[in-house]
Amino acid sequence: MDCQAPSLDFAIIGHQENWQHITALINDIRTPRLEKLPVEKIKSIFSFIPPRDVFKINAKSKTGAEANGVYIETFIDPDMLDAQYIRTNISKVMNAVAFAKKLGAKVVTMGGFTSILLEGNFDSFSPGPSKFTTGNTLTAAFIVKGVEKAITQYGINLQESNILIVGATGDIGMACTNYFKGKTKKMLLCARNKNRLQKFALELIKDNILVNYSIVLDELIPEADIIICVASSTNIQMANCKKNVLICDAGYPKNLETTIDNPAAVHLFHGGMGQVLNGYSINPDYSKSMYHYEAPYISHGCALEAIVLALENKFETYSTGRGNITNDKMEEIYDLSLKHGITVAPFYNTKGLW
Amino acid sequence: METLQPASITIEEFNVISDIFSQAITGELIGMSNFASLVETIDDPHEKMEAVEHANSERSHAEGFMAYAKKKNLKININLHSPYWGNVRKQFLSYAIKKDFIACLIIQEVILESFAVSMYTDVANALGGEAGRLFHNIADEEKEHLEHSSDILRAELNKDPKAFIKKFEEIHFNCMTILAEFTATTDLRGHCGVCNGDCMKGALHHIGLDVTVMRGNALALYASALDNIGIPGEKSIIWIARLPA
Ligand SMILES: NC(=O)c1ccc[n+]([C@@H]2O[C@H](COP(=O)([O-])OP(=O)(O)OC[C@H]3O[C@@H](n4cnc5c(N)ncnc54)[C@H](OP(=O)(O)O)[C@@H]3O)[C@@H](O)[C@H]2O)c1
Repeated sequence: MDCQAPSLDFAIIGHQENWQHITALINDIRTPRLEKLPVEKIKSIFSFIPPRDVFKINAKSKTGAEANGVYIETFIDPDMLDAQYIRTNISKVMNAVAFAKKLGAKVVTMGGFTSILLEGNFDSFSPGPSKFTTGNTLTAAFIVKGVEKAITQYGINLQESNILIVGATGDIGMACTNYFKGKTKKMLLCARNKNRLQKFALELIKDNILVNYSIVLDELIPEADIIICVASSTNIQMANCKKNVLICDAGYPKNLETTIDNPAAVHLFHGGMGQVLNGYSINPDYSKSMYHYEAPYISHGCALEAIVLALENKFETYSTGRGNITNDKMEEIYDLSLKHGITVAPFYNTKGLW
Repeated sequence: METLQPASITIEEFNVISDIFSQAITGELIGMSNFASLVETIDDPHEKMEAVEHANSERSHAEGFMAYAKKKNLKININLHSPYWGNVRKQFLSYAIKKDFIACLIIQEVILESFAVSMYTDVANALGGEAGRLFHNIADEEKEHLEHSSDILRAELNKDPKAFIKKFEEIHFNCMTILAEFTATTDLRGHCGVCNGDCMKGALHHIGLDVTVMRGNALALYASALDNIGIPGEKSIIWIARLPA
């Protein structure tokens, strides 16, 4: 039937990374029968469109269970993610939230920029049966488990390594820091707001963790053996990295490769990503234009958190606020995800699979 | 007679305001004719009377615009057979002849009213003053038509979703294609036959408007109207993406 199914296990609210992806998607929707629209024409319409569900998603667990959901596009202009456009963007996210509620989605994840609404003190989420999550717990779990897997692959000794977290005071950054503290030689923490950074670093120091922190990234990079970048910023410059440093680029958009001065000398992978071993399908099938990975069934950790919760019939506000992700929660959601055959994605970067 | 004096506005502003009123009057007269034709498609006496009332309301909107235009001595050109407006009317009549009340409602009260409400609001905000109030008031009344039709169409969708969506899709592509071409940055099908000189779209900046924004706002309102009726998003995005741009 053409109409929305009455029961929707999950919804994923998101936005597109760049105009290249948007142009490909819109021309895919238009089908080859119609003339291809150039990006300028698409720009003149795209961001006016109110949020709506664009395709259905069916995800399969290795237990045999299935979850049905939708992807809700916010139609946020990817060139307008800066603070100056915050009002417009928040209003779009609020409309997307209302849309998800109207569709009756039982659990809704707020992907990419849209999680800002759940991390702040906005009260647009209650009342109603839909539960909202940032998806940050599973994202953080995929980042840390991914880093552990990669260091094994490269024979890196964690206890003798310095880990640099760029975006350390953020929700995911704090989760990663709290996971690795005490397991490494030294924690190197970076963020722009000095007070917040200092406060967080002093808490760790009180626990006898060896910490260096700075708002100047360049001061920390030369010491780092492993770098996790989870800063909500598009202009992070990575210069003077140690040779063979391991970098997990988990920010959004994933564009660190373009800013590293010597990319050939580092091992960089796109982190926070998972893979659904039993597969997922989308309908209408826009995967030709929307799927940009070298291996099948890869998706963002935040999107997969909603799918895992749906497969578990665990319809709850799993990740919310900032700084609430505990190691126990990360282990719990990671175990649940493995139970359903959802694992850390194979390592890849813009050049392809490792 | 009061005239919009070149001292208070420039000749470019005068010309673009004249063209805006010409389009609005032509559009209202098309609406009036459509509602009048709709009367024939309805059996229910109450609905029949309501359609007459709506036709009368469109007539009074046209009169309101005409009265203002006369007072300000605007250069008005009314052309019900102009390429875009004439084609919209032809589409409407093709369904009216078949006594297809639901199709007529979709064309007049969803498609055309979405554009009218949105564009009148944009014009009202740009012009301000008496003209602004006139456009605002008429936009408010047109909004009621839009809301009234949503209730009827939602009920119709629930009766047979598949058939309703198929029908709506056909009407969308028949009619919205005309409006999309009409409101593209350049007339995709030549001169509109209503503007006095060259296409007014290139001159809207003289009164602080931009055709891209007006068209975007109108499409946004149309998309929300589709949501209100219950058309699934995955359908409406296809409908919108496949329009000419
Ligand atoms: N892979 C996935 O599935 C996935 C899922 C969710 C989120 N994400 C991405 O992960 C990133 C972090 O998410 P989050 O929810 O933790 O965000 P968040 O709570 O807003 O934290 C962002 C952190 O980055 C810092 N920061 C911002 N710009 C910086 C810069 N130029 N240099 C250094 N630090 C900077 C912020 O602190 P200051 O403001 O003090 O600098 C803050 O510590 C985002 O890019 C998000 O889109 C990925």
